[in-house]
Amino acid sequence: MDFPDTTDLSTALEMAQAEQRLAAAETPTRLCEDWRFGRPHKYAAELVALMEQADNRGSVTVTGADDAADAIDKDDRAEELLLHTIGSDKILALHLAHFGKGAVLFLEKEYSAPITITYETDGVFLPTTLIIAAPGAKAHIIEKHVTHGAGAIVCTRLIHAEGGADIAVELEEGGSGESRAMNITNIRSVDATVRHLTRHSKHAWAREETIAEVLHSEPDSPADIQLYSANRLGGHEVLDQHTHQIHDVGHSTSNLLYKNVADEHATATFAGNIRVEQGAHHTDAYQANRNMLLSEDATVHSLPGLEILADHVRCSHGSASAPMDEEELFYLLSRGIPRHEAQVLVADGFLTDAIAKFRGE
Amino acid sequence: MSLIIKDLHARVKDGATILNGITLEIPKGEVHAIMGPNGSGKSTLSKVLCGHPDYEVISGTAELDGQDIFSMSVDERSRAGLFLAFQYPVEVPGVTNANFLRAALQARLPKGEELDAVAFYKQLRGRMKELGMDTKFTSRDVNAGFSGGEKKRNDILQMMMLEPSYAILDETDSGLDVDALRIVSDGVNAMRAPFRSFMVITHYKRLLDYIRPDVVHILYKGQIVRTGDFSLVDYIEEHGFDFVKNAEEA
Ligand SMILES: Nc1ncnc2c1ncn2[C@@H]1O[C@H](COP(=O)(O)OP(=O)(O)OP(=O)(O)O)[C@@H](O)[C@H]1O
Ligand SMILES: [Mg+2]
Repeated sequence: MDFPDTTDLSTALEMAQAEQRLAAAETPTRLCEDWRFGRPHKYAAELVALMEQADNRGSVTVTGADDAADAIDKDDRAEELLLHTIGSDKILALHLAHFGKGAVLFLEKEYSAPITITYETDGVFLPTTLIIAAPGAKAHIIEKHVTHGAGAIVCTRLIHAEGGADIAVELEEGGSGESRAMNITNIRSVDATVRHLTRHSKHAWAREETIAEVLHSEPDSPADIQLYSANRLGGHEVLDQHTHQIHDVGHSTSNLLYKNVADEHATATFAGNIRVEQGAHHTDAYQANRNMLLSEDATVHSLPGLEILADHVRCSHGSASAPMDEEELFYLLSRGIPRHEAQVLVADGFLTDAIAKFRGE
Repeated sequence: MSLIIKDLHARVKDGATILNGITLEIPKGEVHAIMGPNGSGKSTLSKVLCGHPDYEVISGTAELDGQDIFSMSVDERSRAGLFLAFQYPVEVPGVTNANFLRAALQARLPKGEELDAVAFYKQLRGRMKELGMDTKFTSRDVNAGFSGGEKKRNDILQMMMLEPSYAILDETDSGLDVDALRIVSDGVNAMRAPFRSFMVITHYKRLLDYIRPDVVHILYKGQIVRTGDFSLVDYIEEHGFDFVKNAEEA
């Protein structure tokens, strides 16, 4: 399904709200805690400049969704207005002001084959994805962002699942080496299970802000969000990942495993926070960031965090960064596998558990 | 055609010298056993031959069919026909046994040639059956979470698939149950051939009863201090290594 351009969607009220936000929000600076190690004076400034003159040129394609897919329309904007960011309100506001395209999935049943959403551009493209999973829905969604040349995709995404829905969403970010990407993703699970995986390849710069909120309607119904990311970074790639796992209610679970392999001059930053609100007792929340460093010139910043305001909570966070295990590499070499291939096998192997867990293996 | 080691001295990188002048020739078609007390340098010898980065050669040479192996990289040595079944096989999380072996076999093919996947799996299943391994091990990560004996068997599986011309088995028997020991020994014996030789490192006569060596060496403090026939194995079994230790003191 190819969606046509839908530029004239905004009501006067929404425009006014968006503009208010825009006026209120400031471009992130060095002083902004959520942009620590993110070099906002360079990347945020560049992104804001790009967005201010966004041509919003790009295509939206959805396959495998039957009649569950639709183009974004003005009723969906209310949802976007409510999104949270991690230090990037300015970017969200700019996005709102330019809003035009994207895809909505309203899922009510079980889909046996994956649903694919593809955004493709060689300009500056600002799409929005809304995935609403009703009770009983079960689906695997692959969202592909394909950016050519010096283009950028800045995407706002809301994934909302309810009442036993079981949703797996995979975000595949593919760049050109010069491209940039930013994703502001809000995930809400109300008595549902949401698994989310991001994979990045070949962006000059990419930032992710992922806010996962675990909720339930009744005290004992299970709610779970699992966040995964697995990336092999090289060249001068910069990946800046920020996550919030928010537990507003008790008896809920969340898990995060972000893994990066950083080679050459790549930089990977991870800043995560788990917040367990007052009264959200009996919550299980885990967060792990693991990095493999393949070069002296690669850089990793890892800032895991916890904020626990409830009792009887099982939470842990951890981070580890280490070079490739020499013994593992030697074992492959000793079987005649050439060094470069052996390194690729071990590096990909390091990332597999995040991908396998996302797939529920 | 032989594996020829001449006056090999080697040390732990920036550390102690472990091998103090080893001279050894293993002609093709022969099985040589290496025995010796704990810490005498048996594993070090095998790892130095394979090019393990923990060690450096101080002096001496090693040739594989006339090729200087110390000038080759680790992977080149393997492709030249050298194989080491490790005393402690390494776990490689995230890399399945099948992908690992495919990569190793693919690396042996001429550039541009693709490994025949169907034939590969058929051969792999056949070899696993010979070793009494469940075929589910093909999709498990290399040695990850394997029991001690399963790891040893997995290394022998690799040897069978890669068909090296010089195979070093470093205490392959330790950790194997009695049935597995027989199965693995049968596998090794089936591979004995005029174009292949083995260096079998062990502490126990039982393995050598199955895999009868042509020559037996004793390694002690980084040197070959005795070379003989199978009677040397019987002697050690009965008397231990005191005779080499005492000879040194004398
Ligand atoms: N990487 C290393 N770093 C420090 N010492 C080492 C290293 N490798 C070997 N050694 C030392 O060298 C000596 C020989 O070790 P090696 O493992 O070769 O003995 P071995 O003959 O195989 O013994 P075993 O029968 O117990 O397997 C030991 O004293 C050991 O501690
Ligand atoms: Mg040893």
